[in-house]
Amino acid sequence: MRSGSRYGLLALGAALVIAYPWLAPNTYLLYAGVLTVMYAVLATSWNLLGGFTGYVSLGHSAFFGLGAYGTGLLVTKADWPWIPALLVSALVVAVFAGLVGVAAVRVRGASFVIVSIALVSMMNLLVQGWRSLTGGSTGLRVPTPFRELNRGESHLVFFYLFLVLLVLALLTWWVISRSRFGSGLKAIREDEDKAESLGVPTTAFKVVAYGLSALFVALAGGLYALWFRSLDPIFVFSILVGSYMVLMSLLGGVRHLFGPLLGALIVAPAGEYFLVALGESQIHLTATGVLLVLVVMFMPEGIIPAVAKLVRRFRPPEASIREETAEQRSKEAVA
Amino acid sequence: MASETVLELREIEAGYGRAALVLRGLSVTVRQGEVVCLVGPNGAGKSTVLKVASGLLAPRSGTVQLSGADVTGRTPQALLGLGLAHVLQGHSVFREMTVEENIRLGGYTVRDPAVLRKRVAAVKEIFPVVGERWTSIAGLLSGGQQKQVEFARALMLEPKVVLLDEPSMGLDPKTTQTVFDQIDLMRQTGVAVLLVEQNARRALEMADVGCVLDLGRVHISGPARDLAADSRLGALYLGGAAAREAGEQSPAAGQADVR
Repeated sequence: MRSGSRYGLLALGAALVIAYPWLAPNTYLLYAGVLTVMYAVLATSWNLLGGFTGYVSLGHSAFFGLGAYGTGLLVTKADWPWIPALLVSALVVAVFAGLVGVAAVRVRGASFVIVSIALVSMMNLLVQGWRSLTGGSTGLRVPTPFRELNRGESHLVFFYLFLVLLVLALLTWWVISRSRFGSGLKAIREDEDKAESLGVPTTAFKVVAYGLSALFVALAGGLYALWFRSLDPIFVFSILVGSYMVLMSLLGGVRHLFGPLLGALIVAPAGEYFLVALGESQIHLTATGVLLVLVVMFMPEGIIPAVAKLVRRFRPPEASIREETAEQRSKEAVA
Repeated sequence: MASETVLELREIEAGYGRAALVLRGLSVTVRQGEVVCLVGPNGAGKSTVLKVASGLLAPRSGTVQLSGADVTGRTPQALLGLGLAHVLQGHSVFREMTVEENIRLGGYTVRDPAVLRKRVAAVKEIFPVVGERWTSIAGLLSGGQQKQVEFARALMLEPKVVLLDEPSMGLDPKTTQTVFDQIDLMRQTGVAVLLVEQNARRALEMADVGCVLDLGRVHISGPARDLAADSRLGALYLGGAAAREAGEQSPAAGQADVR
């Protein structure tokens, strides 16, 4: 795609997203919009680790839940204003993730996936078990910071707050992808041993990526607590939320800035549709599983690379550069 | 005037785990601006020599010297910093990254942007294909082009010596010729090259010194072009016994050192 039309498409998409709350015909669709943008933040944040390094974490909801409970507890128990509560809890979660990361990123592949699942399960048990602080399985009620607003207006405010966070996560991904740090992370994804042999500090880079990814996920968790006002440990620490982050990223394309966002734009509304159309049945989970299998089987690189490949097929082929020997080159130079 | 000795392996004994020794008292010397080619039948220990030299495999006895300093047992990263680069067998480019990213990864430990720019310009001059395909995804290049990107990446830290493991593997004859030409260009820049190659005759025609390995030792060694014409080379490839018989008749055979 030419860069002019690419920027045009980007501007059109951005304008549509910004205008969405005003175009949404009812409060429910506005609510679904907030949920979709929140998932877009989560998937883009997950991709800061998964997309760059290839380390697949199914347990990123641990950081979502910790961010949510951290913010909720600071607001309810310590009477902190919501902004410092949100920022401090996210920073603490990022540091915690860094510490966990030092041990977690020592293992690769399936072992790392299992470690990530163990982490979210442990956090779930911890929060449910610590009833005196967290309310246990009955959950935690968090007061809204915008008491003067009605439900619809509150959705509108949180839509834009999540949107700001999404832009920050996308900018972070974009900056990293063009940096020396990003090159090191991508080299880890392709061949960690080779990257290390070239002088890339692989462990340090993975830990930083893990912490940075957790920071954005925790910020989304904190905003979720303030928006939703009620925290259920079963939901915020569920592996399903973590799986959604992976599915959305894989569906859109983990190597691309907008891949996870595109995946969220498809999966989140689809999930809501199944929930509304089919009620409280678990069919939406089946649909999610089927979608994941289809993506892995037929579009392992995601939608964006698949479409790009399709576009390339209709383009005239690139002029190939012939190989030549030094002898040929020197003969041509003399001629 | 004789060139400076860059890499010297002395009386190396090495093997994998508790298995029998692969290298049994092997010695090789590589001088500045010189291509030393190791040839020999499968299992002779050619690639193991490179692994010992690059620090991927610690020898059980013997020493590895780089520019006169004992570097035996040092890690590959440490040796890279000291000027020894290893281009592994097969294709080792980062396939999903651009040529630019691959080349910059070669100079990852260089902090000074001006130095990095200078080195990028230098490798682009030696390997024009690097500049021509700068923004291309490395995995989409042809086999020969990928090999040149690997060579260019290896030169980013201005190594004193480059170890090349089967650079022509899987390449067609024309592309193999291109790769050998590029090795020649590396030599002209003063880099020492220790080359392991199955395509023995073609490699010996290009190299300065040839070493024929058999059973973990340097069996025959000498000026590469003379070796290429030596009938014992063919005998060695056709069968170890015939070669050993031929070797016993030669006063030079069995001498470990290249010279």
